[in-house]
Amino acid sequence: MSKTVIELKNVTKRYKLYKNDKQRLLGIFFKNIPFKEKNAVNNVSFKIEKGESVAIFGKNGAGKSTILKMITEVTFPTNGKITVNGRVSALLELTSGFDPEFTGRENIYLKGQILGLSNKEIKKVEQTIVDFADLEEYIDQPVRTYSSGMKARLGFSINVNIKPDILIVDEALSVGDEEFKNKCVNKVNEIINNEDVTLLFVTHSTAVAKSFCKRGIVMNKGKKQFDGDIDAAIEEYEKNIGK
Amino acid sequence: MKTILKILKEHFEYRTQILKLAKADLVKTYRGSALGWSWAVIKPTVTIFVYWFAFSIGLRAGGQVAGFPFFLWLISGLVPWFYMGDMITGGTNCIRKYNYLVNKMKFPVSTIPTFVSMSNMMINLILIVIVIAIFWIFGYPPDIYLLQLPFYLLLSFIFFTLWAFFASFIGAMSKDFVNLVRSFITAVFWLSGILWDADTITNPVLHRFLMLNPVTFLVTGCRNCFINKIWFWDQPKRLMYFAVLTIFMIIIGLWSYRKLRKEIPDVL
Repeated sequence: MSKTVIELKNVTKRYKLYKNDKQRLLGIFFKNIPFKEKNAVNNVSFKIEKGESVAIFGKNGAGKSTILKMITEVTFPTNGKITVNGRVSALLELTSGFDPEFTGRENIYLKGQILGLSNKEIKKVEQTIVDFADLEEYIDQPVRTYSSGMKARLGFSINVNIKPDILIVDEALSVGDEEFKNKCVNKVNEIINNEDVTLLFVTHSTAVAKSFCKRGIVMNKGKKQFDGDIDAAIEEYEKNIGK
Repeated sequence: MKTILKILKEHFEYRTQILKLAKADLVKTYRGSALGWSWAVIKPTVTIFVYWFAFSIGLRAGGQVAGFPFFLWLISGLVPWFYMGDMITGGTNCIRKYNYLVNKMKFPVSTIPTFVSMSNMMINLILIVIVIAIFWIFGYPPDIYLLQLPFYLLLSFIFFTLWAFFASFIGAMSKDFVNLVRSFITAVFWLSGILWDADTITNPVLHRFLMLNPVTFLVTGCRNCFINKIWFWDQPKRLMYFAVLTIFMIIIGLWSYRKLRKEIPDVL
């Protein structure tokens, strides 16, 4: 019994590119302001079932991040339809998405509240998040004083500990040191093995992807080039980057 | 119509988050400085002192206004304006300020102006209470006319939340719009009858024109509670103008939401 948790149907995302901000402002009011169009994602369809782990490969600008943003409902497709069932852990880039004036601990609460958790639920996972992020006394300092590695640690820690139905990991493991990287890999493995979590994994590191995922999607210039077995997907991707 | 329902639904579903974010917005504004919360009072006090000094001592325009000391007359209109002024500029900038809620996670963007407005209103309510206390100290205890003050504050809250709703989406699209609003705020302040009594303008055309200005209406309304002792139903015409303006604000707010909601994550 598998259930579709994410479905993309002929999804296209078109960005309007104006010459400058002035043209963009005028573009709100007038129709005849010239702009260029760029299809960041072009007619992409796929389905992901519950409990699946899928890696998305692609060069920079291939449309990976745009797809993730659309799945988290941060941005919206120009054409086509996206259906998502379940709570998406929604920190897109782990180093951002914090309120810089608040401390790490307060950001845990803020994030949890925004995602609709009650204070009680947050309190239950608070210590786990703090321990995992391993920021020591910095957890009670404002986030603006954090380094990008520290932010990534906190972001990842919140992301995996709020019990999402769909876990999205976007380039997360490229920040932070080796030790933390291993900790993350283990944690992700633990989550996808023990709980019925769907994983979407975006990365350039094919080796890490292979350890989590059975299925791979290769994006190229906004189009879906390949969708299938992870080994074949890695082969396709390596052809793309000319290895 | 569908858009209105959708926005109301978002507000309802996120009602606890809205309250918490409003609180967080307050905390954020006044923390991290040594004097902390006292800034909420110090800043307006300095502003009030400056205007009082310039008018009373500098221009010798002080004396009595409508039987009240100029100082009391001044604060009864100036303090409600603090909220409006903060909302005109801060409201335009609010989505920019909270951009991480827009392009880093799923969040109903339509609620951002609401909680920013709530946070500003909270500060203003504290100041209003202080104003009431000052009136009392000067020998003017609260009377029955003060009962309509919450009504005017509510109107002010509704109007400027709607303004922020309209303006924040355009402000998110274009920094120019934010700057445009910032450069007009001084003009709005001096032209709206906050430092002079709009009801003393004798030219009837000009007077009517002034009363079309929502800021003038609201500031004069608050003064009607404290100073002039006039009920709002005694001036039904201006209330109606204001209602029309509010509906207009709803319409352009919806226009900007529908047009820009799906675009702002791509540009912020």
